Amino acid sequence: MVILLMQFVSPNMKKIFLQISLLVILFFSVLGVLNQVDWLQLFRVEKITKSTEKKLGDLFWDLYHSSKDEIKNDSVHRIMDSLLTHICSSNQIDKKSIKLHIVKSAEVNAFALPNQHLVINTALIDSCKNESELCGVIGHEIAHMQHDHVMKKLIKEIGLSVLISITTGNAGAEKINEVIKLLTSSAYDRKLEKQADITAVDYLEKSTINPANFANFLTRLGQKETTSSQYLSWINTHPDSKERAKYIVEHCNKMAVKAKPVLADSSFSQLKKLLQ
Amino acid sequence: MIALNKFFVEPTEHEIEKASNSYLMSLIALMAGLPFPIINLLATLIFYLGNRKGTYFVRWHCTQALLSQLSLLFVNSYGFWWTISIIFTTEKISNHYIAYMLTAIVFNVFEMIATIYTAIHTRKGKHIEWWCYGNITNAICKP
Repeated sequence: MVILLMQFVSPNMKKIFLQISLLVILFFSVLGVLNQVDWLQLFRVEKITKSTEKKLGDLFWDLYHSSKDEIKNDSVHRIMDSLLTHICSSNQIDKKSIKLHIVKSAEVNAFALPNQHLVINTALIDSCKNESELCGVIGHEIAHMQHDHVMKKLIKEIGLSVLISITTGNAGAEKINEVIKLLTSSAYDRKLEKQADITAVDYLEKSTINPANFANFLTRLGQKETTSSQYLSWINTHPDSKERAKYIVEHCNKMAVKAKPVLADSSFSQLKKLLQ
Repeated sequence: MIALNKFFVEPTEHEIEKASNSYLMSLIALMAGLPFPIINLLATLIFYLGNRKGTYFVRWHCTQALLSQLSLLFVNSYGFWWTISIIFTTEKISNHYIAYMLTAIVFNVFEMIATIYTAIHTRKGKHIEWWCYGNITNAICKP
């Protein structure tokens, strides 16, 4: 076809087409050659990012932890670890990198800090009617970690230079508190929340946990939101819970999940008793 | 890549200055408009439109300067929106991104050197035709 068309084109135009083609080939050849180099390793991009994330995560957790009571009860941790291990092993996620913290608080909240710190408040566990609902929230927060939403949000809202200054101790206490508040009490944007929800449903499906219960949890807390929302941080900071429950249900309907219990019958009620 | 040809008429001092300015215009716009690639093109386009009724020598060089900006516009715009998506969305810095940006920088630097060289020689009254762009300009710009 091209050869046929070229017969009707003047020699000068042929020359122009040939030169443009050569220019395009040259561009893609340079790009192809440069693509062979591992620039991330050469510029140590990942190492610098990971190191900053680790310092930030540990710093934020230490500061948050200093004003809160962390539950250290072995039985509580054993039950929570069983849920976390089940989700991680079913989804090929490195469980060892996730640092689970259970914090005594009347606020229904769970959030992820940099360097894979997963914080769950006792009130949120108490609000869950069954293990599937709790697994949904855990899955949602793991999804934020796996998609690197935590650092993305921080870089977007705080800026990389400020974050690096925090790790080197050059930022004031006010700035650090502002960042902690941002991480614990405000949501990611709608697109990231939806991505985390859908990923959480996929995690639950692979873990043979019924994702519909996660949608029920959102719907139930969404209804409570209108009456007494003072302590419902996880819902307040994750707006449009009805809409979220709707697309979770839609996503669930596409799957055929054969749900199996993760914990022994009495373990979940035992967990709630231990936290009271 | 750059050919020094004899123009069929001897340009006047005024024409030489205007033709040389078209390259300087694109160079200044390139420096000022690096974050927003469309600015380079607009600046060169405005200069081109302002001189489209000028003499053949001036028009020819304005067209060559405009064409060189046009090809870089696509390269730089793609890089610009890729960078924006890394800053504001979940897109991450990857080896592909760094390779693309380096390629774009290499082509921009070559274009900048060629522009400076052409601006200097055009100011001396010499007629510089770029490889590929010179032929396209010859096809578009008629006496």
